[in-house]
Amino acid sequence: MQKTVILGVVGVDAHVVGNKIIAQALRDAGFNVVNIGTFVSQEDFINASIETNADAIMIGSLCGHGELDCQGFKEKCIEAGKGNIHLVVGGNLVVGKQEWGSVHDRFLKMGFNRVYPPGVAIKTVISDLKKDLGIACED
Amino acid sequence: MELSNKRWSDACFKKEREKALSLWPTGREVDTEEVIAYHLSLPEEKNYGKVVRKAKLEGHTLVQPRGGVALIDEHIKLLRCLQDEGGADLLPATTDTYTRNMKFHEAQRGIEESIATGRSMLNGLPVVNYGPGKVRRVVEAVDRPIMALSGTPFPRLTSEITIAAGFSGYLGAGISYPCSYIKSMKLEEGIKNYQYLDRLCSYYAEHGVLIHREQPGFLTGTLIPPGIGIAVGVLEILLAAGQGVRHYSVGLAQNLDVAQDVAALRVYEEVCQHYLKKAGINDMFISVATHQWMQAFPPHEAEAFSVIVMGAIIAVLGGATQVITKTSHEAIGIPSMEANAAGVRTTRKAIEMMRKFRLPLDDEVKGEMEMIRKEAMAIIDKALELGDGDVAVGVVRGFEAGAIDIPWAPNVHTRGEVIPVRDGKGAVRYLRTGNLPFGKEILEYNASKIKEREEKSAVNVDYELACYDILEICKPCV
Repeated sequence: MQKTVILGVVGVDAHVVGNKIIAQALRDAGFNVVNIGTFVSQEDFINASIETNADAIMIGSLCGHGELDCQGFKEKCIEAGKGNIHLVVGGNLVVGKQEWGSVHDRFLKMGFNRVYPPGVAIKTVISDLKKDLGIACED
Repeated sequence: MELSNKRWSDACFKKEREKALSLWPTGREVDTEEVIAYHLSLPEEKNYGKVVRKAKLEGHTLVQPRGGVALIDEHIKLLRCLQDEGGADLLPATTDTYTRNMKFHEAQRGIEESIATGRSMLNGLPVVNYGPGKVRRVVEAVDRPIMALSGTPFPRLTSEITIAAGFSGYLGAGISYPCSYIKSMKLEEGIKNYQYLDRLCSYYAEHGVLIHREQPGFLTGTLIPPGIGIAVGVLEILLAAGQGVRHYSVGLAQNLDVAQDVAALRVYEEVCQHYLKKAGINDMFISVATHQWMQAFPPHEAEAFSVIVMGAIIAVLGGATQVITKTSHEAIGIPSMEANAAGVRTTRKAIEMMRKFRLPLDDEVKGEMEMIRKEAMAIIDKALELGDGDVAVGVVRGFEAGAIDIPWAPNVHTRGEVIPVRDGKGAVRYLRTGNLPFGKEILEYNASKIKEREEKSAVNVDYELACYDILEICKPCV
C-alpha cells in the first residue's frame, strides 16, 4: 500500500527550494506526499498527519533554529495519539559549525528516528525511509 | 489607508508610528530628537550612505559580510573580527528569524537559552528585545557603518530600533522580502510595511540624518534571471522614491555566468534612472550591490573559496560598489566568526588584485545587456500599465496577473510558474516563462538558447534539469 508522508519546513523558516525538490523526489519514489510547505508549526505537522493518517513526518529546518523549533515535538505527537509515527528531521539544524555526532545524538534523544546532516543525498533518505516503513527496495 | 505610491502624510505616518513603537516595550525607548542628535554626532566613517557614495566616486568595491549572533557581547566580538581580521568595509547586524517574524517572546527564550547553554541558539541578533540603548553598544565598539539585515516582511519596529541605535543602513524592500521570506502575506501589506520604513528614512533625511536604503535583489537566490531581478529592483526604488528616499542601493545575486552577471550589473543603474526620470525624479543616488552565490554552496571548503573569489572578480568586472560575501561554512550552516572573516578577506584580496579592471564590452556582453534591459523593461512597463501609472498598485496587479513572477518563492501570492534553467554556456534562461509579458523577440531568443544546450549536451532541458542546475555548483569537482 502507498505510504503517506507529511513534508514541511518547521518554524518561521522560508527555505522552500529543497522542500519542493524533495517533495518531487519522494513522489517519483512512489510516496503519497502531503507537502505543507514552509512556516509550519509543530501543531500543523501533527494535525496534517492525523487528517491524512500519515506514516511518517519529515521535517526540514535550514535556518539554524531547528533545536528550538523541534523541542517537545515527540511529546506532542504522543499526546495526539501519534506516538508511533516515524519522525525524520534534516537540514542545517543548529547555529554554528558543531560536531555532527553530537547534533545527531541530541535529535535522536528528542525522539526523532532519523536525523540527517546538510548535503545528504536525497536517494539515501528515500532508501532509509523505504526500509524504515517496510517497503521493498528495488535497488 | 488605500495603497498608492503617494508619500504618506505627516498625520498618517505619525499614527502608524505610534502603532509600530508599541509592538514591544523597547519601542518606547525611541526618542526621535535624541536619535537625530546621536547620528549627527557620529563620524562620517560610520555613516553607511557616505561611505558608499565615496566608494562609488572612486570606482572602488566595498566588502560587506552578513552575520549576527544572540548576545550583544558576542556580536561585538563578531563585528570586530570581521573588521580587524577580515577587513570588512561595511558591517552587518543580521537579525534572528524570530525577530524577523515579530515573535519576540520566542526570541527572548533564545536569548535566555543562549546564556544558559553558552552557545548562540539564535541565527541573528534579536535587536528589538535588546532595545536601542543596548544595541548602541555595538555601534560604539566598531569603526565602520552598520547595516541592519533582516529578511523580513515586518520591518517597522526593527527599523525604528536599529536606526535609534545608530545603524545607518537598512536592507530590505516591499516586494523582495514579502515574496521570499514568508508563506502567505499579501503584496499590498508587504509594500505598506516597507513604505513605512522608507517614509521613516525620509523623515530622518529631512532632519539631516542620512539612512541609506538598500533592496536585496537576490529574491529567492535560485538562478533568478537578471531581467526579473532588475525589474523588481526598479519597482522597489520607485516605491522608495515615492516616500522621499534619495539614497539607495539596488542588489542582484550572482548566477556565476561571467558575461551575463557583468552585463546585469552594468545595465542596472541605467534602467533605474530611466524610470526615475520618467517619474520626475532626477536626484537619486544609486549604487549597485552584488551578492555572492546565494544557492547551495560546495561543502568542500576549498571549492567554497573558489565560489567566493569568483564572486569578487564578477563584482569588480561589473563595477559594483558593494559585494556581499559568503563563507566556506555556507554549506553546513551559520559560519563561525573566523570563517566569516576569511570570506571577507578572500574577497578583499581578490578585489585588490583586480585593480578596478572592468570587463570590456564585447558583443557577447553587449548582447546580454540588451536582452536583460528588454526583459526588465517589459515587466516594469506592464506593471506600470496595470497600475494606471501607480507603481504600488501595479505591483499588486502585476503579481495577480503573473506579469511579475518570482521562481521558487515560498509566498503563495507569487504564481511560481516561471522556472529558470541554464543555457548551453551557463547563462540563465527560462524553461517556462509563465505569464511574463515577453514579446516574440525575447521568447525566440530564449528558446534558441535552450535549444543550443539540448544540441550541445544531447539532453532534454526539463524540470529535472532545472532542479539539477540549482544544485550543480555544490557538487564536488573531484
